[in-house]
This record gives sequence, C-alpha cells and structure tokens, in this order.
Amino acid sequence: MPRNCCLHSENEAKSEGRSELIPSIKFRHCCLLRNQRCVTAYLYDRLLRIRALRWEYGSVLPAAIRFHMCAEELEWFNQYKKSLATYMRSLGGEEGLDITQDRKPPKSLYIEVRCLKDHGEFEIDDGTIILLKKNSQHFLPRWKCEQLIRQGVLEHVIS
Amino acid sequence: MFVTDIRKEFYDIVRVALLVSLDVDALCACKVLQALFHCDQVQYTLVPVKGWQDLGTAFLEHKEQFRYFVLINCGANVDLLETLQPEEETIFFICDTHRPVDVVNVYNDTQIKLLIKQDDDLGVPSYDDIFRDDEEEGGDQDSGNESDGSSEPSGKRRRFDEGAIERRIERQRARREWEARRREILFDYEQYEYHGTASAVVLFELAWVMSKDTKDMLWWAIIGLTDQWVHDRITHMKYVTDIAALQRHVSRHNHCNEDEDNSLSIDCMRICFEYDLRLSLYQHWSLYESICNSCYTLSTFKLWSIQGQKKLQEFLADMGMSQLQQKFNSMDIAIKENLRDVIEESSNKYGMKDIRIQTFGVHFGFKNKFLATDVVHAAAALLESVEKDESGTDNFIKALDCLSRSNLDQLHRGIELAKKKLMAIQQTVASCICTHLILSQGPFLYCCLMEGTPDVKLFSKPLALTLLCKYLLKSFARSTRNKRCKILPLVMAAPLDVEKGTVIVMGIPPECETSDKKNFFGRAFEKAAESTSSRTLHDNFDMSIIELKMQDRSKFLDALVTLLS
Repeated sequence: MPRNCCLHSENEAKSEGRSELIPSIKFRHCCLLRNQRCVTAYLYDRLLRIRALRWEYGSVLPAAIRFHMCAEELEWFNQYKKSLATYMRSLGGEEGLDITQDRKPPKSLYIEVRCLKDHGEFEIDDGTIILLKKNSQHFLPRWKCEQLIRQGVLEHVIS
Repeated sequence: MFVTDIRKEFYDIVRVALLVSLDVDALCACKVLQALFHCDQVQYTLVPVKGWQDLGTAFLEHKEQFRYFVLINCGANVDLLETLQPEEETIFFICDTHRPVDVVNVYNDTQIKLLIKQDDDLGVPSYDDIFRDDEEEGGDQDSGNESDGSSEPSGKRRRFDEGAIERRIERQRARREWEARRREILFDYEQYEYHGTASAVVLFELAWVMSKDTKDMLWWAIIGLTDQWVHDRITHMKYVTDIAALQRHVSRHNHCNEDEDNSLSIDCMRICFEYDLRLSLYQHWSLYESICNSCYTLSTFKLWSIQGQKKLQEFLADMGMSQLQQKFNSMDIAIKENLRDVIEESSNKYGMKDIRIQTFGVHFGFKNKFLATDVVHAAAALLESVEKDESGTDNFIKALDCLSRSNLDQLHRGIELAKKKLMAIQQTVASCICTHLILSQGPFLYCCLMEGTPDVKLFSKPLALTLLCKYLLKSFARSTRNKRCKILPLVMAAPLDVEKGTVIVMGIPPECETSDKKNFFGRAFEKAAESTSSRTLHDNFDMSIIELKMQDRSKFLDALVTLLS
C-alpha cells in the first residue's frame, strides 16, 4: 500500500479543515500495512511449501493437493518445475542429472523393502516385473523404490 | 539332483524368488540367505507359503518374472515338477529338512537342485531299481525273427514261433518281478517321514564356505537347530552331533576377536556354549512358573495331580532356594550363581537325570541375555499368534523381525506370547489327563479337543499342536499303568474352523528314549482318506498333519484303526 495514499488522505483532511482526523488516518494506515504484511507472509510461506512439494512428490502432484491450490499457484509451480528441469539438464553432461533423487547420501545400492499394500505389478528399468503383494519383501535397487516409499506403498526395512 | 559345490552351482545367480515355509527353522534359514544376498546384491522377492496350495499360487504369480526359485523347508518330499508344472528353463533350489526326498526330485538333472548334504542318512534307492527305459513289448523282436524264419520250411517256423513266445513270456515275467520289487523298494523308502539337518545350518555352512559368515548367521543357525529339537523333529543323538559341529564354529568366532589386549565392547554379540537347564523360558519368568510349565518337569512330577504338586513342593524344599516365585532377573546374584548345580543335584534325587541339555546362549549389552530355546519359543509364538486382525503373512513378518538384534521389543512380545502358550498347553494337558480324554484305539492313542476348551484356538496351528501332542504323550506315558499304552503313538484332533466344520488332525510317533522320530502317519492318513473317501486336505508340508471335515471323523478313524492293526 503506497505511502502516498496516506499522504493524500492527510492532505484532504487538512484542506477540509478536519485535522483532528489525521491520527485516525495514520492509525488506519498502520493497521492496513500490518494486514498486508501478514497476508504477504502467508502467501510467501505457501509458495515455499509448494516449492518443497516438487522435491517431495516429484513432478506430478496428487489430486488432493492440487485441489487446495489456486490457479496462480499452479502456474507458479509449473514454472518452477520448468526452471528446475532446465537447470538439471544443464548439469552432468548429456542427459542431465536428477538432483531430486538421493537427497541423503545413500548407504547401499540395493535396499530391502516390505510391501504395505497390494500394488499389483511394478516394472523396473531392465523390463523385469515385480509383483507387489501385501507383506511380501523384496530386495531392489534403491532408485526404483524411492518413489514408492514416498507414496507409502513400500516400507524400507532396516534390520 | 544333489548340489555338490554349493557355492558355484547355487550362488551365482542374479534374481531369485524365495518361497519360505512357516516354521522357525525356515525363518532362520531365510535370514541367513537374506544376509548373504544383501552382501552380494542379489535381488530377491520373499514370499511366505503356508502349504502346498500357497506354494502353487505363489509359483503361478511369480513364474513370469523369475527363472530361479529357492524353496526353504518345502518341496522336497513331493514330485515338484508334477505338482507345479513349470517351464523348461525354471530352476528350483530346494533346501528342505523333510525326508524322504522324492525320487523324481533326486534323479532330475536339470530343473531341481537339492541343497542337501548327501551323507545326511538318506537311503535313496539306486537309479536302476526304480527307473528303466521301457523295452518294446517282445513283439517287435519276435517279428524280426519270424521274418527270418519265413524263408525256412514250415516245420522250423513253428519252432521259432514257440521260442519267440517263450522269450516274450520270460520278459514279461521278469518285468513283473522288477515292478513288484520297485513297488516294494518305494514303499519302504517312502513309508516313514522324518527330518534331516536343519536348513539354517546348511545355509550357514554355505556362508562359511564363502567366508562370509558372521556371528548373527551363526546364531540363526543355532536357533534353527534348536527349533528342530524343541519341536521334536530330530533324535537326541543327531542334536548332540550337530551341536558339536556348531560348537566348533562358536569357538572359532569367539577366539578370533577377543584376547587379553583388546576385549570386545559390551555391546557386541557374544555366543557361548551353555550346559543349561531344560526349563523353558526360565530366565524371563520366575523359576517356579517355569518348572510348572516345562514339559520335562511337568511329566516327571505329574503336576496335574495333587500328589504331583506335593512332590514338587518337596523338591523345592529340598533345593533350599528362596525367591523362587520372583522374576528371575530380580533374584539375588548369590542364588543365581549356583542355580544350575543345585537344581541338578536335587533333580537327580527325583529321577530327572538329564535336566541339563547342551545349548547356546547369546548376550549383547548389559541387559540382553537369551538362550536359543527362548528365541525359538518366542518366534514360534509370534508366527502362530491368533490375535485378531493378524493375517498369516503379518505374523510371518513379525516373527522374521524378532530374529534381528535390533527388534528386541518384538522378541519380548514373543516371549510373553510364548509364556501364555506354555501355560495353555500345561492346562490342556492337565485337563486331558484328568478327564481321561485320551483313549486307546488299538494301534494308537486318540485324543480329541472339544470346541469349548479354553485356548483351543491356539491349537489350530501346527507348531502349537505339535508341542501339545508331545507334552501330552510324554505325560500320558508317565501316568498310565497300562504297559502297552506306553509305547503307542498318538493321533490328536483339534477344531480348526468352526464355520467350515473342519478339524486339524495330527499324528506323532510313540514316546521312547531311543525313538528315531520316524512318522508313518503321513502315508497312513493318505490311505485312510482314500479308502473312506473322506473330505481331507493334505495341505501342510508335513504329511502327518491334515485337515478333515468333522462329519467324516469317525469313519476316518475306523479306517485308520483297520489299516494300522
């Protein structure tokens, strides 16, 4: 809210000979500024969370989350996705580097996972298909499981 | 076919499906194999299987994706290729304690590889006794002769014909004899069921051959062997022999780390040989409770009778120890130190000569000390827990978890469940004997648990029912005066599913000091079911445990009696 709105109102009050209104005007202006700060902080926090969603969920957001975002936020998310993708492509030579994988240094190439619900068939890179049934345990390459662990289908077993 | 070099022929594979049966030895073997696979990054999928039907379903679901299957404690005693009908390239590795190994599995060179030691007392009949290439019926060869003979004058031809007919008759007779001998050999071979070396021990030796064995794997091998002893699957001699073999491994592991200068941190795992008491779970219970609920003391003192209780009180007075009803961990150290010797001395006076048994214990950290038998009881109780909302596979996962050192709360939960199970067994045994529920049917003893018996749901599971049968037979053999009844085997029936009206029936061999634990009930049940066309389900990997419809119970029993008389 520009400062000149307040000045303009003050000038109007002075010219109409009602200078006793000037403190009210100043006070009102401060309240409005404060509200503006709160709203901006809220919107900025939302933005930061939406940015974190890209790292958490990958490029496709679940419908439940998209439901709670407004059109502008979705637009912002898409643009953020695009700039992240451009950046990732620019790293690591030919194919680019997916920096959203392995956010913590991995301890091993393969991990043991346990299936928490029936997920049906799941294909890994070399074309082999794994049947994910509830309570079956598998020993699979880490990068293939991360997505499913985040979705809650698999659970990493540490023994 | 038996695998000779277990490392080369079994281990060099990339993706494999592990099908594991539901018993503690299989769980331990599975843990050892998982640890090895983690080490070498062999991808696998682990599927628990409860019986033959589960095995078939699991195989069908996974046969598109996997070429190699490893079966643990299932699949050796039945013609696997016939049951599963796999493709040509599928290869099965079977590590199973069930004997006798089916002859087709032994002599198949391409698809079935048995991870079983060949000197394991197998007695497999030789190839020529069972298989032979089918000869042509004498006809073809004789027609050859006949055509030769046709150029001769007719008199000679008739003689050739007779010669040909005689030869044919001779060949047919020889063939019939061979077939009769074959049937006899197969009958003798397959008549008795028994168990061989624990799978966990076999797989531990694989790890040792590859120099990848750790103390954790050794501990799992010990638990697998102890499971066989607790559930009465192997003879005492074999148990002691296998313990001696494992003892060598234990010494090797203990000596390579610890010496005067650098002793191990207290948190490291230490396995030690113990000549410990045969009282189940006594270190996690009070001594008094443990004595009341252990098979050995229960049957010796006959604790279901008032006299037995008095004798027990005398025994405790004779021992002269106080604090018997307190939790073991809170007893004074002074009392705990000489505990074993004091108890052994007193038990000798009361006729319990072998209250002590060779076993192993583990301790890590300041608080955690477990005997192998404790872990076996805990894992078995978790595996067969009948609490609501727990499916078979949930229990499998929990029992598998409790074997790791990092899941001690699961292990403690298992110990609590095991205590409840042992108490339920003790009460059921007491009530069966006092109400004379065990009847002699002639060639065997029979006992049937009624629907409303307390804790009867626990006994619808095979491992719990095995323990109950073993305790019951032992106690009955001690309590009966009838000399003939002491050496009879036992058949036990317990309600399985009230809605479907099925019972689980199980047979165990007679109780005897020198028993060789060979069980003929598998074949007997099959034949009895066939002859009366009862509705049975021979689903369990142990042939001596079957499901039966309640209505067919009496005719099934009658058939069994006639069969075995």
